[in-house]
Amino acid sequence: MLIIKNIIKQYANHRALDDVSLQVEKGKIFGLLGPNGAGKTSLIRIITQITGPDSGEVLFNGERLNVDHISKIGYLPEERGLYKKMEIGEQVLYLAKLKGLSTAEATKRIRYWFEKLEMADWWSKKVEDLSKGMQQKVQFVATVLHKPELIILDEPFSGFDPVNADIIKNEILELNREGATFIFSTHRMESVEELCDNIALIHRSKKILDGPVKDIREQYRNNTYWLEYEGDYQLENSKELFEVLHTEHIDGKTKVKIKIRETQNPNQVLSALIPHVSINRLDEVIPTMNDIFIQKVKQS
Amino acid sequence: MNKILLIIQREYLSRVKKKSFIIMTLLTPLIIAGFYGLIIYFSIQGVKGSFNKVAVVNQNTSLTEKLVPTKNIGYTYVKESLEQMKADLKTTKYDYILYLPEFDIKSPKGIQLIGSKQAGLSLSNRVSGDIKELIRTQKLKASGISQTELDGLKTEVEIDTKKIGETGKEEDSSAGASTIIGTAAGIFMFMFILLYGIQVMRGVIEEKTSRIIEIMISSVKPFQLMMGKIIGIALVGLTQFILWIVLTASISTLAVKAFVGKDAIAQTSAVAMKAKDGTAISPVVNTPVDSPVLSMQKSLASLDLTKIILVFIFFFIGGYLFYSALYAAIGSAVDSETETQQFMMPVMMPLLVGYALSLSVVTNDPYGPIAFWLSMIPFTSPIAMVVRLPYGVPDWQLALSMLILVLGFIGTVWLASRIYRVGILMYGKKTSLKEMIKWFTYKN
Repeated sequence: MLIIKNIIKQYANHRALDDVSLQVEKGKIFGLLGPNGAGKTSLIRIITQITGPDSGEVLFNGERLNVDHISKIGYLPEERGLYKKMEIGEQVLYLAKLKGLSTAEATKRIRYWFEKLEMADWWSKKVEDLSKGMQQKVQFVATVLHKPELIILDEPFSGFDPVNADIIKNEILELNREGATFIFSTHRMESVEELCDNIALIHRSKKILDGPVKDIREQYRNNTYWLEYEGDYQLENSKELFEVLHTEHIDGKTKVKIKIRETQNPNQVLSALIPHVSINRLDEVIPTMNDIFIQKVKQS
Repeated sequence: MNKILLIIQREYLSRVKKKSFIIMTLLTPLIIAGFYGLIIYFSIQGVKGSFNKVAVVNQNTSLTEKLVPTKNIGYTYVKESLEQMKADLKTTKYDYILYLPEFDIKSPKGIQLIGSKQAGLSLSNRVSGDIKELIRTQKLKASGISQTELDGLKTEVEIDTKKIGETGKEEDSSAGASTIIGTAAGIFMFMFILLYGIQVMRGVIEEKTSRIIEIMISSVKPFQLMMGKIIGIALVGLTQFILWIVLTASISTLAVKAFVGKDAIAQTSAVAMKAKDGTAISPVVNTPVDSPVLSMQKSLASLDLTKIILVFIFFFIGGYLFYSALYAAIGSAVDSETETQQFMMPVMMPLLVGYALSLSVVTNDPYGPIAFWLSMIPFTSPIAMVVRLPYGVPDWQLALSMLILVLGFIGTVWLASRIYRVGILMYGKKTSLKEMIKWFTYKN
């Protein structure tokens, strides 16, 4: 769907993107991650044709990115706004027409979306009368109204209360099922794990990690487990089996985070402990995207 | 192209629908018509002036000549003594008592003008003028000059200004009317460019601070957005201007008709009243009251108003495009209106200089070198040219100035669009002029 090849973007005194390449597959939800100022917005601005790359190329459905693609992309920027004095309905209609919809078609779709997101009576309200969360709903509708093949959302959930965030999340999933491809730019990692199929991590203008979320998490497993038991046991005795990372005692129970040595496995740990204590729990700690994110960013 | 039209439409409608626009558009012609009416009123009043009845108590035996009533002052010689007149002043029909004591006509002293209220400066000036004239006549008569000889000395002088047009034909012109029209057009142009240029800047800042800009430019090119806004606002200005012309013209016509008609009635009744009073009115007094109004209207008619309006519209559009592009660039470079100060000055200065020079130098010497250059340089030509226009500008100069202005605004639009496309995406940074120049060289 979208292939980005060796993009370089140089601003006056810093390089915003340094040889970044990535691929977004059709029908997938792609997470574009990175700390603030990493170059995410610069990359998105190239995809949305707000700016152009100094070198490298972007292919959209196999074609070099061009003006015709603007109507196939929907973009919800992080810094987003609306005309304060304009009526909501007029405003969304205007934005939809700029994307090439006819007045009649746009009106029909706005009514549909307004109905669906419980904003049917907002048509003649003005932006200044809406709360921030309400404004974001309007912006979301404006982004998806022209049925774009590729929808780019920059921090889509910031500013939403949990109820509305959930509504929007479900809309995203539904649009995705209908075939829309998404790019998420965010540093809220929970939403990444929940929604994204693939991710790319950008740090200091370079891509430092990419791939399917499942694979990455799998790859970053490091034999760490939560162990909980009742009874007395000197953990020191099992030094050759695992390393203790963290210990806490609650109501006679002991909770420890252990890292099992590479030559060993959980079965051996269990058989060593069962004679001495009663075991409540042994869980593998699969690193969250958050952990991986922090780890990778600190590393580089 | 279609997108630009959509943007123009939004920019235009969102402004024209505003209450403030509607109020301004309706109110201004009323104000202009009001001023016009006031000017006519005062010019009539100035000629007619107020009328005062003055009782003359003459105790001077050497003054055998008498004061002649004028259109402003009715002199009546009374036999009563000064004391009696003073006592009766409130009950008599006289406004003032003029007391001429015994004095040597070579050095008149002790003349008094007494009234129940203080005589105004214009009245006392008129009276003293009349007395001077009286004494002069007295002296001339004493030296043996007859009344007929005296009458023969009076000459009325009137100057008709004419100019030789390009066709070599003599045309009626009026320096007064040209100055008034030129000055009004200059002031109007200055206000218009400033007002609508700043609207463009505000519009850009609004889009930037509300962050709608990010959403917009993922659909349209920055250049389309900028030009759409500039053209949309230009159409708002044009709409307002045309409505003003139409409304002012119709209101003024109605007002003048009503006013002049009423005044004519008032005048006849005043004459009738004076006649009833028994006050003598000399025939000379009846100079045509409407002459300044008439002559003004005559010289207005001598100017080619259609040409002036069309050229005004051209220079308004040209000058507006020239400056509004610069204002758009300023708007794109700042985060709020308070930050615009440092950039406003360099853009305002040429406009202000053009304005000030046009209203002083150009009106004094509309064909001089300064006037010529001011009306050629695109920074000042929109104002200078419309000020010069009523005095008559050679066609080749007009054409050259228009051409330079067109090239000028293409230049500023191009320059501004390069700054704009970078500026609108820059937030939270204080921008310096140096940085703006750097943006100019950015590749897209």
